[in-house]
Amino acid sequence: MVKLTFTLTPDASARLHDALSCLGKFGDSVSFEARKDQLVLSTLNSSKSAYASFKLELGFFSAFDFASDVGQDGRFTCSIMVKALLSVFKSRAAEARGKNAGIEKCEVAVQETPEEAECRFIVKMICEHGVTKTYKLTYEPVAVVHALFDRNLATNRWVIQSSFLKEFADYFSPKAEQLDIYAEDGKATFISFTEKVMKSKSVLKHPLKTAVSVNLSDFDHFSAQEQLHIVISVKDFRSAVMHADTMNASVSAFYSSPGRPLQLAYEKDSLQCQMTLMTAGDYIGPTESDVPSAASTRPQTRGQSFSASDSRSERQNDMPPPRPSNQAIRKGLRGLGRNESSGQAASTRRVSQESDSLFVPLEESDRRWDPPDYEKVETLGWDATADNENEPHPTFRDSRIPSATDLNSNEMLEGLPPTQRISQIKGIW
Amino acid sequence: MRFKAQIQNITTFTKFVASLTSLGPVAWVRLNENDVRFTIIPEQGTQVWAVLAIDAIFEGYTIQSAAENVINLEVPLGPLHQALKSALQATAASIRLTKKDNIPLLSITIVRNSIGNARQSASEDDDGGIGIGLSRERETTITQDVPVRVLSPSKVEGIHEPRCRDPDVHIILPPLMQLKSISDRFTKVALESRSVTAGLSAIGPRLEMAANMHGCLRLGIKTDAMKMASLWTGLDNPELDPSHLEGGMEEIQQHPSTRMKQLGGPDGQSEEGWAKVRLDGKDWGKVMSVGRLGGRVIACFCHEHALILYVYLPSERDEEESALTYYISSYSA
Repeated sequence: MVKLTFTLTPDASARLHDALSCLGKFGDSVSFEARKDQLVLSTLNSSKSAYASFKLELGFFSAFDFASDVGQDGRFTCSIMVKALLSVFKSRAAEARGKNAGIEKCEVAVQETPEEAECRFIVKMICEHGVTKTYKLTYEPVAVVHALFDRNLATNRWVIQSSFLKEFADYFSPKAEQLDIYAEDGKATFISFTEKVMKSKSVLKHPLKTAVSVNLSDFDHFSAQEQLHIVISVKDFRSAVMHADTMNASVSAFYSSPGRPLQLAYEKDSLQCQMTLMTAGDYIGPTESDVPSAASTRPQTRGQSFSASDSRSERQNDMPPPRPSNQAIRKGLRGLGRNESSGQAASTRRVSQESDSLFVPLEESDRRWDPPDYEKVETLGWDATADNENEPHPTFRDSRIPSATDLNSNEMLEGLPPTQRISQIKGIW
Repeated sequence: MRFKAQIQNITTFTKFVASLTSLGPVAWVRLNENDVRFTIIPEQGTQVWAVLAIDAIFEGYTIQSAAENVINLEVPLGPLHQALKSALQATAASIRLTKKDNIPLLSITIVRNSIGNARQSASEDDDGGIGIGLSRERETTITQDVPVRVLSPSKVEGIHEPRCRDPDVHIILPPLMQLKSISDRFTKVALESRSVTAGLSAIGPRLEMAANMHGCLRLGIKTDAMKMASLWTGLDNPELDPSHLEGGMEEIQQHPSTRMKQLGGPDGQSEEGWAKVRLDGKDWGKVMSVGRLGGRVIACFCHEHALILYVYLPSERDEEESALTYYISSYSA
């Protein structure tokens, strides 16, 4: 038996609509995860390259009641089609146009008793003039998958007002596919580009390539490695930014190196939003032996222990840990990486990509002989165990996803079937 | 091959490109030392030959090429328009021809005050007004790369501006917003009434447009079920300038419009003296998009043959060197 009920004010209901429509840009269905003091809405896109989550804390609700006797971990999880929810939680705009009677209160309950129809998500909209609208949606009980992101590993971070990012997104061509972000000479540059079309006839159909350069002083905070190119999907960026702008929030970005995820996070009034996006890209700056130059508005607190060259050379030695059932991630990544390598912006970075094959820079080949860092291994995987109380679960972690720039080793990996984690095998004996 | 210039009049240039975008996706752009010419020749519909005087739009214009300092480009108008739109609030914008990864580009560089400054400086003002001091370094640079194709001189030498016989009637059109809203309405009504009767679906509604030399313009549409027409009177028929004609005054005497002056009257009630053309309603709607430029429009009617529109860009000087010329063929029925 699960009991989950909550009540929303009209304003919170409209904010929930905004969050749902943002989630709808990532995937078709939204996963709910209820705990005693929070409700998490999340979506993982079909290629598993982007994950969005909205954490609604108690303050978001005018009333929240959750009790569960199912499962030892005290959670209730389910999944509902976004479209169905969107038609229930109408936007503020629709209300302003007078299409709907004004909502006075919104009550949501989950019905899971065997006596009645099971798996119903019941939304009661109590409207003006004594009108009550009741919607019964069917949900699917599922295990929710969350993307874990370790901010401690993300040494590159910046914070900026969402209005800036929204303006950037407005300049980009609607058809542009990828977004390259990097810092250089006191400026941060956002370049939207699309994989090049080689046929001369279709060159004219190629979307605009747009570069927006801003001073680092426009950021509330900026500390990221110079010339570290991180590439994400423009579409995901736009979805996140547009929503952040409706909240008028400051957006923080966290990332470590290309091929590792980037997280955009913002929060306001008991609503915490996190988008974890897969990245590609490369690092064309000076190698680690040079003085690490970090573009920063504040003294650097940590060294750049995660530059691209660093992680790449490591991987050439170690077999990465198994990544069960994330073939899709690999594909998505490779797609991004391939695009990147032929993209215009990548032309200068070609050299460093090819360096994997023949022209290995001295610094990198030297690193091959470094002892492997055992502590860093073994952090990626589907955490099937439910003993990690601190994290939503099951999860997959970011810290060991292979770099997209590392095409060669990726190809090698394709032939290897996933295997079990060593730590799990130990448990068996 | 070199071309670069500062864009001085961004709004006009943006509107200019926007009006061309409605007619076709790609324009042939010819740059030389005197002017910039945009030409759109769609497979079907109206041709445009538009000439921009360099100083109407640009500043510090430099051009250099092996072919007598002429550069011919094929430019996608959609991306160009989009790029220019992001320059609307710019403090400075420039355009240049360049090459990246072997693809020629028109690269537009835009400098504007930092976005979000408005909001920030407003809040700073509340704290005691230290708003403007930082603004110089708070600049955002936007670069928009429009991919283009370079056309060799041999590829374009066969393309010529259409020639047409002397028009029977020339008249200054009423404000295009008026004309557009009425013609759009007519086209819409005709489309709807036809979808009921369901025939001739391949042919769009035909607008009938006519003018006389006494300041009258008539716009109408006819379907099986109805007939509608609007009549303007009191418009201007500009005088022909003898210095622009080879034969001088004598040619004016012979000019078809002189003969048309003898026919019809200023109230537009007589059936005589009209020069008439039939236009495709949808195509006309695209042409009318040029109204955003707010220029003076002279329409030249060749009876049952063609309509030629000259749209002059408004300029502070009286020179009117920048003009868009629309060649619209008349349908026979």
